[in-house]
Amino acid sequence: MEPAQRTASKRTEVQMARSMCWHCQSEVTGEYFCQQCVKVQPLSKELDYFTCLGLPRLLTIDTARLEAKFYELSRTFHPDFFQNKTESEQGISLGNSALLNMAYRTLKDPIRRAEYLLQLEAGSAKDIRTPPPADLFEEILALQEDLEEFRSASSQQEATSLGQLRTKLQADQASLEQRQKDMEARLFELFMKWDSFQDRTGQDDRLRAEKDPVLKEMREILSNRTYLRSIVDDLVATTG
Amino acid sequence: MAYSEKVVDHFNNPRNVGSFKKEDEGVGTGIVGAPECGDVMKLQIKVQGERIVDAKFKTFGCGSAIASSSLATEWMKGKTVEEAGNIKNTDIVHELNLPPVKIHCSVLAEDAIKAALADYKKKAEASTNM
Repeated sequence: MEPAQRTASKRTEVQMARSMCWHCQSEVTGEYFCQQCVKVQPLSKELDYFTCLGLPRLLTIDTARLEAKFYELSRTFHPDFFQNKTESEQGISLGNSALLNMAYRTLKDPIRRAEYLLQLEAGSAKDIRTPPPADLFEEILALQEDLEEFRSASSQQEATSLGQLRTKLQADQASLEQRQKDMEARLFELFMKWDSFQDRTGQDDRLRAEKDPVLKEMREILSNRTYLRSIVDDLVATTG
Repeated sequence: MAYSEKVVDHFNNPRNVGSFKKEDEGVGTGIVGAPECGDVMKLQIKVQGERIVDAKFKTFGCGSAIASSSLATEWMKGKTVEEAGNIKNTDIVHELNLPPVKIHCSVLAEDAIKAALADYKKKAEASTNM
């Protein structure tokens, strides 16, 4: 189907399209369409989401620019505009639109953006993963036990203990939500720190040694945040 | 995806649910969790001599996590501390027929076993040094 797939050249500009047209085999100079035969070109599956949306690999992003680019490309690739084209072109339009939507959804949300970046950087970051602190497990366990007690009190209609438990659990919920906020604030600080590395040239060991702790801390925060969020969800569902 | 019969059995009739007092002599406690799915697992052993005479667990999580820890307590009872250290998550996967997406539950159970054994050893060492 795609004979030109394996002949990727080393183009220096943003490599949106494959270097050779899948249809007429001429060199593709335009970004999304072949200038010889005017066929739409598939976005490379290896393209990372930042490149796909024309953004530098940074964690603080210009959301207006992200949105503008997304709308522009959505119009470019929208399957509606390919209804009268060949099956191959319809397929490409669909594939490009799917990739684009995924890229936009991922980068729009700061948490998903950070998770995605960690995934991209996994080569270096996966070795520095540490388990969450043991006291967090104990805390979650204690909360789950309280929730269990609350559920059983509520099924037996023990009004007094139910009221006390509800007060306690609501206080716990408030403090957990505050901690989530603190974690997010710290996460955004780390975003700036990460981005400041990107302005520096050279991928030497010293830079690596500074980057890794930032990646590691982001990973820890994201993982602990997920944990807190799931217990908060339980709290809301049970006492709310 | 449907749970295997063995998972359903452990889920409906979990063995050895409960807890020991953490401070009691010969008790080792392991608390582990998986942030991705919000699970938390507590596994405790009671050791007399070198043998695990009783084991208890309390797990808040999915059926596979509950079944994995329930099975772990069953297996640990009667074993020596050293033997219990040889229980592998792959044994749990095999016994419970866990699908690939649930393998992490068995890993969690193995982590809990290791944590409980380590806690017991630490306490035992501390008391002999006193």
